[in-house]
Amino acid sequence: METRELFWSLSHSAVLAFYAVGVAAMAAFAWGVWQHYAKYRRGTAHIGRGELAAGVKRMIADLLTHRTLKRRDKFAGYAHAGIFFGFVIAAAGTAIITLEYDILYPLFGIRFWNGDFYLIFSLALDIGHLALTAGILMMMWRRAVFNLPKLNYLRAYRGETELRAPARAWRVEDWIFLTVLLVIELSGFTQEGVRLLMDQPEWGAWSPVGLLVAKMFGAFGMSETTAAAIRGTNWWMHGALALAFTAAIPWYKAKHIIAVLGSLATRAELPLARLPREDEGSDSAGIACVSDFSWKDMLNFDACTKCGRCHEACPARNSGFPLSPRDLILDLRSYNDKAQGRAEEGVDLIGDVIDPETLWSCRSCGACQEICPVGIEHPAMIVQMRRQLVDRGDMDPLLQGTLDTIASTGNSFGESSRKRSAWTRELKFAVKDIREEAAESLWFVGDYASFDPRNQIVSRAFASLMKASGVDFGLLHEGERNSGNDVRRVGEEGLYETLVEENLETLTGVKDFDRIITTDPHSYNTIKNEYPEFGATPPIEHYSSVLAEMLKSGRLKVTKPLNKKVTFHDPCHLGRLNGGYDAPRQVLEAIGCEIIEMPRNRDNSFCCGAGGGRIWIPDPPGIEKPSENRMHEASALGGIEVFVTCCPKDLTMFEDARKTSGHESEFAVQDIAELVAEAVELESLTLKDLPSIADRLTDAIATRIAEVVATRLDEVLATKMAALAAVPVSAALEAPQATPEAPATEASAVEAPSPDPISPEPVGTPAVEEAPQAAPAAASLPELNVMDWDNLAPVQPGDMGSYTAPEKIGLRILVTVKHAAKLGDEYEFTADGLDIAGEYLEHDLNEWDDAALEQALLLIESIGGGEVVAVAVGPEEAEKSLRKVLAKGADRAVRIWDERLQNADPVTIARAIAGVAEAEQADLVLSGTQSSDQAHGSTGTALARILGLPHGSVIASVEWDGQGDMTVIRELEGGTRHVLTMPAPAVLAIQTGTNTPRYATMRMIKQAKKKPLEVLDGAALIDGGGGYRVRRMYTPEQEKAQMLEGTAEEVAEQIAALIRDKKGE
Amino acid sequence: MAGILIVAEQLDGALREVSQELVGAAVSIKDQVGGPVQVLVIGADPDALASGVNLEGVDEILTIQTPSDHFDPLIYEEAIVTAGVQSKPSVVLIGHTSSGMAYGAAVGARLGSGFASDVFILGHDGDELIATRSAYGNKVEMEMGFSGKGVVVLTLRGATFEPPEGAGSAGTMAVDLDVTSIVGASTHVEYQEAPPSDIDITKADFILSVGRGIQDKDNLPRFEALADKVGATFGCSRPIVDSGWLPKPHQVGQSGKVASNCQLYFALGISGAVQHLFGMKHVDTIIAVNTDPEAPIFNVATYGTTVDLFELTDALERHFN
Repeated sequence: METRELFWSLSHSAVLAFYAVGVAAMAAFAWGVWQHYAKYRRGTAHIGRGELAAGVKRMIADLLTHRTLKRRDKFAGYAHAGIFFGFVIAAAGTAIITLEYDILYPLFGIRFWNGDFYLIFSLALDIGHLALTAGILMMMWRRAVFNLPKLNYLRAYRGETELRAPARAWRVEDWIFLTVLLVIELSGFTQEGVRLLMDQPEWGAWSPVGLLVAKMFGAFGMSETTAAAIRGTNWWMHGALALAFTAAIPWYKAKHIIAVLGSLATRAELPLARLPREDEGSDSAGIACVSDFSWKDMLNFDACTKCGRCHEACPARNSGFPLSPRDLILDLRSYNDKAQGRAEEGVDLIGDVIDPETLWSCRSCGACQEICPVGIEHPAMIVQMRRQLVDRGDMDPLLQGTLDTIASTGNSFGESSRKRSAWTRELKFAVKDIREEAAESLWFVGDYASFDPRNQIVSRAFASLMKASGVDFGLLHEGERNSGNDVRRVGEEGLYETLVEENLETLTGVKDFDRIITTDPHSYNTIKNEYPEFGATPPIEHYSSVLAEMLKSGRLKVTKPLNKKVTFHDPCHLGRLNGGYDAPRQVLEAIGCEIIEMPRNRDNSFCCGAGGGRIWIPDPPGIEKPSENRMHEASALGGIEVFVTCCPKDLTMFEDARKTSGHESEFAVQDIAELVAEAVELESLTLKDLPSIADRLTDAIATRIAEVVATRLDEVLATKMAALAAVPVSAALEAPQATPEAPATEASAVEAPSPDPISPEPVGTPAVEEAPQAAPAAASLPELNVMDWDNLAPVQPGDMGSYTAPEKIGLRILVTVKHAAKLGDEYEFTADGLDIAGEYLEHDLNEWDDAALEQALLLIESIGGGEVVAVAVGPEEAEKSLRKVLAKGADRAVRIWDERLQNADPVTIARAIAGVAEAEQADLVLSGTQSSDQAHGSTGTALARILGLPHGSVIASVEWDGQGDMTVIRELEGGTRHVLTMPAPAVLAIQTGTNTPRYATMRMIKQAKKKPLEVLDGAALIDGGGGYRVRRMYTPEQEKAQMLEGTAEEVAEQIAALIRDKKGE
Repeated sequence: MAGILIVAEQLDGALREVSQELVGAAVSIKDQVGGPVQVLVIGADPDALASGVNLEGVDEILTIQTPSDHFDPLIYEEAIVTAGVQSKPSVVLIGHTSSGMAYGAAVGARLGSGFASDVFILGHDGDELIATRSAYGNKVEMEMGFSGKGVVVLTLRGATFEPPEGAGSAGTMAVDLDVTSIVGASTHVEYQEAPPSDIDITKADFILSVGRGIQDKDNLPRFEALADKVGATFGCSRPIVDSGWLPKPHQVGQSGKVASNCQLYFALGISGAVQHLFGMKHVDTIIAVNTDPEAPIFNVATYGTTVDLFELTDALERHFN
């Protein structure tokens, strides 16, 4: 009967020895697996998206098709397929033998490993092992001969010139893995060869490779004795190696064999397109230490085979930024091998293990996870680590500024939201306001398409196309906010959530519509994939598919096929993240364009470099930006007329890169909507001369604004003049004022305020034992001399009613906070002409008060305890700034308000704050030197006088131990600094620039809602006092500069002439 | 009660220009407010400084001797009140300077008088004094009146009012001030001069200045190289110094240096905060580059452009190669 002897010529004790070794190997393997399991269990829960069953199905499908391995590297794909399927067959063979020999036969006396089954088994195993051997040889050949850059572990992007020790170890590991497998295979065939040579079974042909080896041995004249000797020793070598290989699997590269099963099965349904939400119960943001990674992330680390496909695809790495997705994962794995999923004292994951610069280099384009054959999802890990960086305020100052801007204005341009739909004014038709009027489609425009002048042209083109094809649409106008896609990818999760809530709330309140349309792939992604996790979200379409549909249905008719050779750039957020590859290509074909694909297209599209918030972080000069790299790729196609985009950020990036990369004369960069407009001969736009249109539009807007302002000014002046003519001058001027009366009628002129109104009280038990006592040294303050200079009387602190401050426990520093206004280009005055109409003002925390708060926090931190109390005079809206200040570290806040305090003069504001300061008995009061809107530079100084405290202004630094005198430095004109000492309590007006105010994430701001904020009535302050009365507010006539027009080159020529002329050359 | 009291400003025994500018401002409203115009000089040796403010239109110089020349806002406040009680002026003029900011508002609050700061236009409507300052980030102007206030304290913007050209013939009168209760509220330690530098903004006749618009520290060398090529002194606005990108001597503006001898000022990526304009708005020819066509810098510039800063720099480099 066809079969073979398992333990040929082995004594009973030898067989026992073999079993002992085998069991030991299995135990080592199991122990290793258990170790990994225990490590994964230390990770956080994998925030489950996608079901396991579906994941397993996808995993099996991907393994069977080897889809993920064959992509962009067929050779490696086939080689791996050989190894993989060979290995599966080999493992199955061993399992079958074990099943019969060790289980079924001893227990039930069943044998099946014989006869026809045995023959087929022999053939299958021979073929499997042949494939395995071939695969290994191909891989060895590839490593030794191809010299693939992606297999080089040298971190050239970090300036490395020679391999680090771990990287050398990786190379050794790679070769050991292949070599051991090869030796096992070859010894297996040798064993089969000598067996067939000696036994000469008539079914030998069912083991064709073995038979071939046997024939070779025979041909070389191998004797029976030699064969027997080899058969005896080789058996042991083959067996021992195979068992050693098995035992070692969990400990090195081979572990991917197992880890990959989990890694592939637990892939997210929409990796990166839908990022994991923050765990609300967690104290710390994002991923701060290794135990913050999920078990699935740790599985990802172990699955990495260092294949380098992500390394090759990453736009950051290609441009020389310090990020290689592969190296990031390898560093995390190396560290986790040591840490075993446990956070270690004294090791900062971000800083010691992963460089923050590495994390900031990411563009969130998804190229790495797209090509990863083992399902590693790098970007989500990067974003979660960025959340921690944002929480620490460890980010580029420009990025921090942009986040602040988005939080306060709702757009990244820092423009007034009123200007969001300013681009529609040049359209020949009115655009619906969906908040007022129902429409078929709601167009979510996005920041770039709304505010960027180049993209505004595209927006108008698309609007005109929709109009022409009868698509009924409306906008949210100023109701739209930044969609938050990139804010989320920066890692500012709290701000993202706020933006989503605001947009969803706006969307719920609008009139009927069927679908959202957007021209922005970034907004498209988050609204489509992420918004539904926050609330019901209407369906959304990208304009490329809307255009495709309009052309297909004939609603738009191509009258002038373009006959242009174009190339198309797939936006990451449309293509890779949402599969929108076809619609733009259909559009281009429909309008008669010939598409020449770039080598990197569709899922391999190369990011423009703007994603992940990188558009808000400047790229260092001297490197080739991803967008420039892309321009070279397009240029190399030869003969391209237009580089087509369908993403506003792409248009911005590539318009720049075309010039900076030296391809300006070769091709144009245009949006797909502009090409469609050309092909359907949209009458309203001549797209040939875009720049001149842009100029004309800018001029038209400027003229219109000038007209409006002039008319308004004339009206105001006319009214004013009429009023002046009608009444005697003095009466006219006093008319709007409450009856003027001497301030502080209660206090007689000679009654001076207490010279020391807030002398510190004896301190109660400090909350923290080490916390220093409140400043003991009372300042020696001047007595107010008796004066009678025509009944003058000092300004008194405002009456804050029954306000009582909590009991003092340690130091208390008061910080004044202004919710300062910012005025855009377009505005109107209030009806009385005394102020700007409120709706034209955007507000944010005053920059100088931010510096004062930072100084207060630094003092409290260096002294080692105490309390910071923020005081603002402002409407409820001002609580936004107070919340921000509380989020940054202030302990309490007080807000004083009365409608009549709008744009009050600094003396009145100082009185209000003085009322609170008296009750608070602060040890130190810090104010900003001035506010960014009115720049009075007076509040702190007036406050000091009202409180009767020593003071200083334009203070650049304060040193204080909380007990004795403070050392302060005043900044004088011309850069001189004046150092002096001063007792506490005192009032200091702080200058900006000497500290860097910390960043408050939206999460911190939300958490700060728990901190106390008291609101006081400021009605008592309205008594006709104050320093001045506003007579009128107006826009000054300015003699504007003579503007030089033309391209940069033309302007440079004019300037060069001016310089030469002026220098008398 | 009439007359104008001017507070002369000095630093460590040297009179500052703003003192003379204040005299110019006072003279311009003297007819409406009514005389006299008095200048209050405070210092260790006030008589030595008196001649510097004895300008055309000044009626009297009041001197108050203090134990030292070092600035202390409480002494200034006390000195003004003492002088005021004696001569009862209806207007007090103070420079809107680093020092003036430290006591101007305090005097206003102490007196419960009219008060406004950073005033750059003075006028009148009948009997009422009118002062104008800017509001909302320099975009609009705000005209203020002080009806019902017998005394008005104003801090005036520097480099705005012209000092009188002619010399004056005012007499000097010493006023006694008791400082015993004040001395010690703050104690002078030292002045730290800005570190010496081979850059001298005040002497340069051609300055190329950069601001926030250059975006990144790494971009600095390009502009520095351009300044070098065109033969300009390399200046900057405050944010550049605050960010630590350039040392203080490069800074043009109120807290930096005034470009006193500059003929040609080339501003790249500077929006034009008041403090910066302070240091350069007087320059004969100003060329400004800024992407925002509404940037305040264009209000003082002779020529302006909104083209991309970096492209322009590249093109200029080629021109001067």
